Formats: sequence, C-alpha cells, structure tokens
Amino acid sequence: MDFEPTTEQRGVLDALTTLLARHAGTARARTGAGQGYDADLDRALREAGFLSLFGAEGAGPLEAELVVEQVARHLGSVTIGANALVGPALGIEADRGPIALVANPAVPIRYGAEAEIALVVQGDEAWYYTLQPDVVTVVESPYGVPLARLAPRDGHSLGPGSSGRMLAWWRVAIAAEAVGLMSGAFALTLTHVRGRKQNDRTIGSYQAVQHRLAECEVLLDGSRWLARQAAWLGAPEEESAAAAALAVATALRLNREVHQVTGAIGLTREYDLHLWTQRLRLVTLELSGLLGQRRALAQARWVHQDV
Amino acid sequence: MEFGWSDDARALRRDIQRFLDSSLPDWWGTPGTGLGSIRHSEYSKEFAPKLAARGWLTPHWPREYGGADGEPWQHFILGEELWLRGEPRGPQYMNVNWIGPAIIAFGTESQRNQYLPRIAGGDVLWCQGFSEPEAGTDLASLRTRADRDGDDYVINGQKVWTSYANVADYCFLLARTGSTEDRHRGISVFLVPMDAPGVEVREIDAILEGHAFHELFFTDVRVPESARLGEENAGWDIVRHALAYERVGIPRYCRAAMQLDQLAEWARENGRLTDPAVQEQMAGGRALCEAARLLVYRVVDERAKNTHVSSNVHVARAAMVLAERAVGDLGLAVMGGYAVASPIDSQYVDSVAAGLAAGTYEVQLNLIARTVLELERR
Ligand SMILES: Cc1cc2nc3c(=O)[nH]c(=O)nc-3n(C[C@H](O)[C@H](O)[C@H](O)COP(=O)(O)OP(=O)(O)OC[C@H]3O[C@@H](n4cnc5c(N)ncnc54)[C@H](O)[C@@H]3O)c2cc1C
Repeated sequence: MDFEPTTEQRGVLDALTTLLARHAGTARARTGAGQGYDADLDRALREAGFLSLFGAEGAGPLEAELVVEQVARHLGSVTIGANALVGPALGIEADRGPIALVANPAVPIRYGAEAEIALVVQGDEAWYYTLQPDVVTVVESPYGVPLARLAPRDGHSLGPGSSGRMLAWWRVAIAAEAVGLMSGAFALTLTHVRGRKQNDRTIGSYQAVQHRLAECEVLLDGSRWLARQAAWLGAPEEESAAAAALAVATALRLNREVHQVTGAIGLTREYDLHLWTQRLRLVTLELSGLLGQRRALAQARWVHQDV
Repeated sequence: MEFGWSDDARALRRDIQRFLDSSLPDWWGTPGTGLGSIRHSEYSKEFAPKLAARGWLTPHWPREYGGADGEPWQHFILGEELWLRGEPRGPQYMNVNWIGPAIIAFGTESQRNQYLPRIAGGDVLWCQGFSEPEAGTDLASLRTRADRDGDDYVINGQKVWTSYANVADYCFLLARTGSTEDRHRGISVFLVPMDAPGVEVREIDAILEGHAFHELFFTDVRVPESARLGEENAGWDIVRHALAYERVGIPRYCRAAMQLDQLAEWARENGRLTDPAVQEQMAGGRALCEAARLLVYRVVDERAKNTHVSSNVHVARAAMVLAERAVGDLGLAVMGGYAVASPIDSQYVDSVAAGLAAGTYEVQLNLIARTVLELERR
C-alpha cells in the first residue's frame, strides 16, 4: 500500500501536464479542435507514448489510468479511456486510431463518427469492427462532445470471455474519466465560492455550502482511489464495478451541487463550468448508468461468487 | 503508488484469523455480550494479554515501551481482524490506539514507566473523560476544574457519555486549570485512578446495544501533580493528537462491509438477492465501504511514512460515517420486518452513534471545508 506517486509516476504526470497545457484546456475545448475530435492532441499523446503505458515496461494500467484522469480533467477531446485502457486491455495496438465503445447500439456513442474502430459487447464476446462512414448516424450533441449511433458491420470476435474484460476496463475508464471531469468542475467551483460575496461574505463561508462541498470532496476522493486501485489490480470484475458505481453516483451528486452553489452563471455557455459538467453527464450514462454499474457490482460480489 | 499487501501482511492476517478461531470463548457473539458489556470488557483482560504475548497488542509502539517498532500497518491489520470479530480487546483498543501513544508523546519518564507496562501487558482499562453536559462539540468550553492545593490538584465537576467508565481503572481526563475565558488554552490532561475517593459513576440507560454510557462525577478528588500529563494548560495539543488517532482508530468500514455480506446471505436464502432493487441498494453500500477503506489506508500510509497527521483523517472519518449509514439504511430497507432485533438493526443504531462519537460528522465536514477546501471560516 502506497498512496504517494513514485518518481516515475510524477515524471509521467508532469510531462503530461506540459503537453495538455498546449493541447487541451478550457479555451481549446471551445474551439473547433476541442469540440470535434482533437486529432492534434491524439497525435501528441500517441507520439509521446501516453497511449501505450498500459503494457509498457516500467509502467502499466495504473499509469494509464492516471493519464485518463488528467486528460479528462483538462478537457482533452479524445477517446482517452477507450484508447488508453480498454483497447490495450484487449490487445489492440495503440496506433490503430480512435476507439468507440458500444454496449447498446440504440444509444449515441461519444466520438462515434470520428472513431476508426468500434469495440462492441456481444454476449460473452467483444467484437472488433473497422468503421466505415456508412455505418454512422450523427446525433446532434449539446454536450461539447460529438455523438453518433453506430451499426457496425463485418467485424471479428476477440474470443470467448473477451466481453468481460472489455466491460471491466470500460468501467475503470468510466471511473477515471468521471474522476478527472469532476476534479476540474470541483476546482473551478471552489475558486468561485472563495471569491464571490453575497451579504458581505463569501458564499464559501456559509456552512450550508461548505457541508455540501465537503461531502463532495469525500465522495470524489473515494472515487479517485477506487478507480486507481481497480486499475492497479488489473480490473477485477468486482473492483472495477465498485469504482464505476461510486464514481457515477458521485458524479450525479457533484454535478448537481457544483451548479447549485455556482448560481445562474453556471448555466451559461460563457462560463466554463458546463465544459466539465456536460461531458460528465454523458460519462455517467454509459453502460446503463448508475443502476447498471451497481448491478454489476452486486453480481460480482454476491451472485457470481459465493459469499 | 500501489495497492498490494506484502507477504508479511498477508501472513499476519492469516495468523490472527487462526488465532481468533481457536481462542474466542463459546459465549462470544451471543446477545448482550458485545463491546461495552461488562462481560466483554472483563474478557478483554484475559484476551489482551494473550495478544501481548504474541507481540500483537502494541506492535506499533517503540520497543522501549513494550512495542516492536513495527509499522502502523501491522497494528491496523490487527484492528481490522479484531473489529470483524467483535473487538475482543474491548475498551483496550483505546489504550493502544491513542492513550498509550499520548503518554509516550507527552508523558514524563516516570509516567511512562507507571502506565505503559500495564497497557502493553493488556490488563488495564481506561475511559475517556472529555464531554460534559455543556461541552459537546464545543469541547473547549468544558468546566470541570482542577485547582492546585499545595502539591496536589483537587478536581470538581461532571463528565458525561463516558464509555466504559463502569469498568475502567483510569480516566484520561480533561479539566480546566485556567479560567473559562482561556477556552482551549486553560485545559490540562489528568490521568486519574477511578478508585480515587470522590469519583462516582452512574450508568445512563441508552438504546445502544451493550454500549453503556455513563455520567462521571468528581467531588474534591485529590490527585498529585504527577497525575498531570504534559504542561499545565497545554492539554489541548494532547487532545488534538489523541483525536487524530481516535478518529480512524476503529475500522468501522470493515464491519459494515461484513454486515452487507451477511445481508447478502440472508437475501440469497430468502430469494431476494436477484431482485434488482436489492442489488442496487447493496452495491451502493458496498462501494462506500470500499472507498472508506482506501481513505483510511491513506491515513495509515501517511503515518507509516511519519508525515504529520494531515486533514485526510477528517475525510477518512467522514467516509466511514457515510459507509456505515448507507449500510444501516439499506439493511433496514431490504429486510423490512426481518430486521427486528437483528445485527442490521444494531448496525443502524451504531451508524447513528458513529456520526456523533469522536467529533460529529458535521465537525468533520467543517474541518474538511476549512483545511482541505480552504474555505473561509465565518
Ligand atoms: C457512542 C458514543 C460514545 C461516546 N463516548 C464518549 C466517551 O467515552 N468520552 C467522552 O468524553 N465522550 C464520549 N461521547 C460523546 C461525544 O464525544 C459527543 O457526543 C460529541 O462530541 C458531540 O457532543 P454532543 O453529543 O453534546 O452534541 P452537540 O455538540 O450538542 O451537537 C448536536 C448536533 O449539533 C451539531 N453541531 C454542533 N456544533 C456545530 C457546529 N459548529 N457546526 C455544525 N453543527 C454543529 C452537531 O454536529 C450535532 O449534529 C460519546 C458519544 C457517543 C455517541
């Protein structure tokens, strides 16, 4: 047990922060590059090796998870969870292009139109598809992230049992992205409540506000460590589901609280908060949403194995 | 950053489990014999010496005071395994978690020699005399006085909610040695024998299973100056030190998680485990227990590295309260009438107490807001 980053992990994160300062952030999330798929960021991450940490010597899934958290926090407009965690866990090389994850073809997928590959849960197996433009239906998106439905054709199975692996790592990716997005939204909110005054005192000095945010901090911190633990353990069914279940429950709560304490300005597109919270809501909906995550956890803990 | 256990840690866990399997008595776990009951407390004087003999009572203490200079992790793993079995150390978990460490940190050599060997030997019980009728959350307003009289102090006043006072040999007492206006700067700690003339204990009937509350009255209780721990009027630092240990002293998440597993057993036997509503509730509780576990481990990690006790202790404590509450709530929701007089119902009441003892939940949130989130204090 060690909760401090190693020198190597610190090195990875420092280098990533430098890269993200150039290729991500709130201003960029508002530009064309940030609102579509950010091919420049994708290339920069790939070239610097951040998408190959999962299986790299001296690194591993935990380092990949840390990257997902940071890219999400800095609003990087790439398929970071799918490409840094899920793809590598299924043996897909890092240079194959953006990956879309599909469990239910009826629901719109993040970056569906921009992805080159789809990984699809089909019963016990994960299927691999190379995407052609004619299988894509673009869906209008108010989330700051493009959406599309996919009806992929002509794929191949990644083998029996592969869907379990895909789902587990997808849950870790959901948790990591949610943690990153929540961290960004929360940091902005803290700055806001420290500075804005009403009735001659900062709104952050009101205990009603403090207690809400303190509870968010506890839940967010817990989500963060569950996500990291799940990645470090190699995404066991139970620990992955626990990470996603807490992160998604926390995201729903935190999304509400940060907007509540920010006031009306938080609902405008001029103010930055929505850049995180809109994306965050999309992440919470994946894999059947909170109920889906919780049921997966209950199944893993109490149904699939004996107590 | 890594989340694994060393081979030593794993082996320790196995050894303790085996030891517990073979050493707990037949009556263990029967109704009315839980933590706080007289039988439980008395048994701790039989049990803790056995732990001590194996080096498992104070492994984290310095060698010179009966410890083994061990990592805090050892002590923590012990705490988890013991708490899962109903805490056979009884009130002595306080001795080893924070009372002994406070004496090590703030005591004179002669105080260390006087008190630590018995604590490390496992046959002495202590209670914590902090709260008063008018001083709960606002502990610094306490009124029990200790006035100098020659070489002695004379103590007068009242404490309340004192757990284990009925069985304790000593009280770790907070009393005012300065004026009321001095607030926290006028408080000292005294190590008071409970059989000193003028100490009176009255039981308070409560809804907590086994866990009896008490009132403690001090009437002209005379103690020598050597009963004072630390400098006069410097008790507040000792309290802060002690509370930082106490707040994560009980690994509450692991018992809540165990209750959940037992609830799952019940649900399976009663055909309820496949009910999606039941699964959803139970998983929500499980995730919170796991989060609390990691947040407590982070504090242990800080301690193992000797970094100062950070405000993460408040985050950990609050997370434990959330986990315990969730399990209590969902347990009643899932079991309905079958929860009557069940361990789940006790879990519910315990979770209420968890939000109050060792600094209330609101106090933890206040401290998180100020120290972690850096929000202004009004
Ligand atoms: C199971 C159990 C065992 C205990 N054992 C001991 C023991 O052995 N020795 C001992 O000395 N004490 C013991 N206590 C007492 C415990 O420390 C106190 O209950 C606690 O400090 C709270 O004080 P209070 O009960 O007077 O509540 P109060 O301080 O009156 O608080 C009541 C409510 O008001 C809230 N509140 C108070 N101030 C604020 C504030 N500034 N901001 C927001 N909310 C606030 C509290 O959070 C709480 O919800 C025990 C308590 C319990 C439940």
